[in-house]
Amino acid sequence: MSPSVDWAALLPQIFLGGGSLVMLTLGTLVRKRAPWWLPNVLGIGLTLAAFGSVVWQWVRVQDPSRGAFSTIAGTVQIDGFAVFLSGVVVIAALLALVFAPFSIRRAGLPPEEFSVLLLLSAAGGVTLASANDLIVLFLGLEVLSIAAYVLAALDLRRAGSQEAGLKYFVLGAFASAFFLYGAALIYGAAGSTKLDSVAAALAAGAGSNARGMLLAGFALLLVGLFFKVAAVPFHAWTPDVYEGAPSPAVAYMAAGVKAAGFAALLRLFAGTFSASSADWRPAVAVVAVITVLAGSALGVISGDVRRLLAYSSIGHAGFILVGLESAGANGTSASLLYLGVYAFMALGSFAVVMVMGRDASGSQPLAAYDGLARRSPWLALGFTLLLLAQAGLPFTTGFWAKFEVIGAAVQSRTYWLAAVSMLGAVVAAFVYLRLVVRMYLVRPGADGDALASQKSGVGLADDSRSGDEDSDSRPPVAVPRSVGFVVAVCAAVTLFFGVWPAPLLNLAGDATLAVLGG
Amino acid sequence: MDVVLAAASTPDFPAVLVAVVLTPLVGAVVLAVLPRRSSMLQPVAALFMLAAAALVAWVVVDYTAGAGGFAYLIDQSWVSRIGFSWKLGVDGISLFMLALTALLFPLATLAASPSRDRKSYFVWLLILEFGCLGVFLALDLLLFFLFFEVVLVPMYFLIGQWGHGNARRSAVKFFLFTMFGSALMLVGVLATAFLHSAAAGVPLTFDLVTIAESQVISASAARWAFLAFALGFAVKVPLAGLHTWLPDAHTDAPTAGSVILAGVLLKLGTYGFVRFGLYLFPEASRFFAPLMLTFGVVGIVYGAAVAAMQRDLKRLIAYSSVAHLGFIVLGIFALNVEGLSGGLLQMVNHGITTGALFLLVGWLYERRHTREISELGGLARPAPIMAAVFLLVTLASVGLPGLNGFVGEFLVLLGAFSSHRWWAVAATVGVILAAVYLLWAFGRVFWGRATGENAKLPDLSWRERLVVAPLLALILFLGIYPRPVLDRMEPSVEHLVQHLEEHAPSGADSARPSVGQASP
Amino acid sequence: MSDFLRSYLTVGIFALLAVIMVALMLTLASVLRPERPQKQKYISYESGVDPVGEGWSQSRLRYYLFGLLFVMFDVEAVFIFPWATRLETYGVFGLVEMAIFIFILALGLFYAWRKRVLQWV
Repeated sequence: MSPSVDWAALLPQIFLGGGSLVMLTLGTLVRKRAPWWLPNVLGIGLTLAAFGSVVWQWVRVQDPSRGAFSTIAGTVQIDGFAVFLSGVVVIAALLALVFAPFSIRRAGLPPEEFSVLLLLSAAGGVTLASANDLIVLFLGLEVLSIAAYVLAALDLRRAGSQEAGLKYFVLGAFASAFFLYGAALIYGAAGSTKLDSVAAALAAGAGSNARGMLLAGFALLLVGLFFKVAAVPFHAWTPDVYEGAPSPAVAYMAAGVKAAGFAALLRLFAGTFSASSADWRPAVAVVAVITVLAGSALGVISGDVRRLLAYSSIGHAGFILVGLESAGANGTSASLLYLGVYAFMALGSFAVVMVMGRDASGSQPLAAYDGLARRSPWLALGFTLLLLAQAGLPFTTGFWAKFEVIGAAVQSRTYWLAAVSMLGAVVAAFVYLRLVVRMYLVRPGADGDALASQKSGVGLADDSRSGDEDSDSRPPVAVPRSVGFVVAVCAAVTLFFGVWPAPLLNLAGDATLAVLGG
Repeated sequence: MDVVLAAASTPDFPAVLVAVVLTPLVGAVVLAVLPRRSSMLQPVAALFMLAAAALVAWVVVDYTAGAGGFAYLIDQSWVSRIGFSWKLGVDGISLFMLALTALLFPLATLAASPSRDRKSYFVWLLILEFGCLGVFLALDLLLFFLFFEVVLVPMYFLIGQWGHGNARRSAVKFFLFTMFGSALMLVGVLATAFLHSAAAGVPLTFDLVTIAESQVISASAARWAFLAFALGFAVKVPLAGLHTWLPDAHTDAPTAGSVILAGVLLKLGTYGFVRFGLYLFPEASRFFAPLMLTFGVVGIVYGAAVAAMQRDLKRLIAYSSVAHLGFIVLGIFALNVEGLSGGLLQMVNHGITTGALFLLVGWLYERRHTREISELGGLARPAPIMAAVFLLVTLASVGLPGLNGFVGEFLVLLGAFSSHRWWAVAATVGVILAAVYLLWAFGRVFWGRATGENAKLPDLSWRERLVVAPLLALILFLGIYPRPVLDRMEPSVEHLVQHLEEHAPSGADSARPSVGQASP
Repeated sequence: MSDFLRSYLTVGIFALLAVIMVALMLTLASVLRPERPQKQKYISYESGVDPVGEGWSQSRLRYYLFGLLFVMFDVEAVFIFPWATRLETYGVFGLVEMAIFIFILALGLFYAWRKRVLQWV
């Protein structure tokens, strides 16, 4: 009765989950206080090992003679999709760990707990990405989320961080409940928790005699997962959590947790429930449009950089949902590409946000960025690149992500969705421009927002001369090497694969769901 | 369509177009590694632009019109998975756009130098040139879109960082307007490519020639796709109604920015209409021609009327651009050889004359720190050469026979008259209005008694004379002897009109007889 | 309607009956009982002692922590009992699995102890 275990398939989880438990054990056993950098270095080593095993899995899965495989009685499915998203989650954890020391030292985050929780959460994410059973899926989701709740509240001395943790926890718990109810109903309708059996049952018309139950199951699963990926109208927790939680944790949440949440959505809906796509596609389409538009519009009126990036991450979630909506192999790989690309943009952006703030968490007014281009030109340049990529400008990866997603929508003939999303992208571009304007075009201490500064009568005043070689009294932003490294890597990836997207598109295109074949 | 597929010219130097596009980009990289305060920044930037110009000049001279197909084709697969390729080529339509771009950029660079952040200024200018050249050369829908969109970033920074007045607001407005326009264009690009691949049963491709020559997309879908493209171009042109970003951006941009904006960037829209409107969607172009013509005429009259009311000299010229671009749109959507060649010629002319006008206004502003027409006056006495140059350019702009503006305008009206008579009649009113407001403004600025600071205005320096001289030479040359340009243009235009007639006969949906085909 | 859903019908009927019953009793009571409002009657009843202070009061976080620890072992029991009933079927594999599970929980408890969560000060 004991199922066979392909340990190689579980290598990332072993490195991440097992490694974090070992770290915790050692941390509690050893009486002497470890130096602050030790847990961090250990964490980086473990994520690197996990990344190595993910790469190895990718090679194995892409080998045509071997292909995708499942293990532990078919509850874990290692296909291109799983490996790709595992990679995204692991990279998110890795880069977050690399730039975390800044927060750990300055804001006094507990180093050991940070590493352990991050690794644990990443282990959950990897499990989620490769889950092939509703129960394993839930297991991964909970491991991922519970660790993330604590991560959000890790900056204990600040009330904002505690608030973030509590909000995230309460709403996340609700979401988990929704998900569980949904999973139960799907089990009732399809007679199995195994995803391939569910897919087979649906294809054979299992839903026809319990249609109400099936639809309710879809709806509840969607609601639960929409909470996790912060789709409107289930997004209310996002700005508060992004504002309150420590920056490295937020970066990981935006990049890794979001990717894992979408892993569940995509595997369940684009994969398992593809036979009943007519039932869930309209719901996803509506949510996608609302998410894109609301995320962009709310970003326009927010006056805080963290909240602004939170709303932008909501908008991006909407775009990824557009990929899901087209319900096919193309849409799935488009969503994957978007997740992979967005991970770098988010990680880099939050690394910048971290060095710009005095504290690890807490609000950060837009004015903090006034004239940054003069004080720290390289930091401003990197951030600008990441922001323009998020706006989807050509020759950045952000463009290709939008291109693929919109292409998937167009290919499935959902033109209205493509058109409305693109209009949302323009609104979002304004949001990013607000920050770029701040960095390049606003003198510190000058008037507020670009568009609010329409003073009549200024007319022809030549400010290009008056401000010649003015020196900013504020010192340049101190950028530690670790943070500079992360921003540089993220910007380089964004630009390089923006100019030469073929490998990226191929990677995402090869990352297929085993259910969809290919 | 073997006529098109066979490249018209023997490529001695097949990669010349790649070199043209990449030269400014290399220049930008070289400039980026120079020290911030180096005195070599401006010369190096100009050097790279002149190198690109030299390459373009070689192409212009070497180009043999042939059957009007694309020459110097380069087709290198970029992302094979989605059929996206780096495909460049030039024909009689894009040739002179290319030349205009290559000419105006070095002039604008040499004309003025900013007082701060010179390095990033020149880097942005070079990147801007890279984008503009790319737009005119791209023969792949997606590549075109990439270039079309990437132009926004350098222009945004040029306006915002080195502009005057409310530069930030103008920059953001420019960025958002144009991005709004091109947002739906991406949907159009994708829809066109997917529909083509589905209808023709071939793998996905974004190749312009393949898609345009096959014409397999259903008429109704093509109309929607045309509209998606047209919105992007219409904002860029800009057509009346979508033009509100233009006066702000032109007025607040630095001199070089205004020159490039008026001279090159607006042409991206009109060029787009020709290449990706008419060629790609002939039937839809014919269908929407009356609408576009109406926009054109409204632009002519409205631009002229508003320009006449401006108190700011630069704003006046900006609004005159709206009117001139209306003319170009009128010529293009006349859909016959005369109208199209006139429109194309007028694109070049407008680039030259308006570029020169913005240069002159920029220099005036450097001297007087004001552009209010009421504060200027009598400048002809202290600065006779400037006045003479300004007069010549103004006359060219209003279309005086013997100068370049006349030929284009005449051809446009001829073309429009033969296919859409009443629109042409309405447009003629605009010609008269243009003469009124431009000459009126000239008179107020340069004639009369010079008082106060106006009396002490220094004349054009040698450097400024050198910069404006090529433009003046072209104004005269194109006015007296436009033949070499028209000769190179005509086969491609005829080919395009033939393509239009083939896929959307002119008599099919309108009762009005067309004589556009009569005489080449 | 499927059999599966039909079996829920009983639940629905019972729920409906419950609602009707409660509503009926409350209505009946409000009709029958005498009503003489008095201020004293509305003071909250605290085991005969007069209420003091605000309605809000802070409770110690410790209670929450102990609550969590309790839940931890509760969950452990929930997993262990079903496993125990099927011990033979799962064999060594199940035993190892359960050992890992208990180890992780124990690790958590140990961690809490080292962080002095268990000290009542």
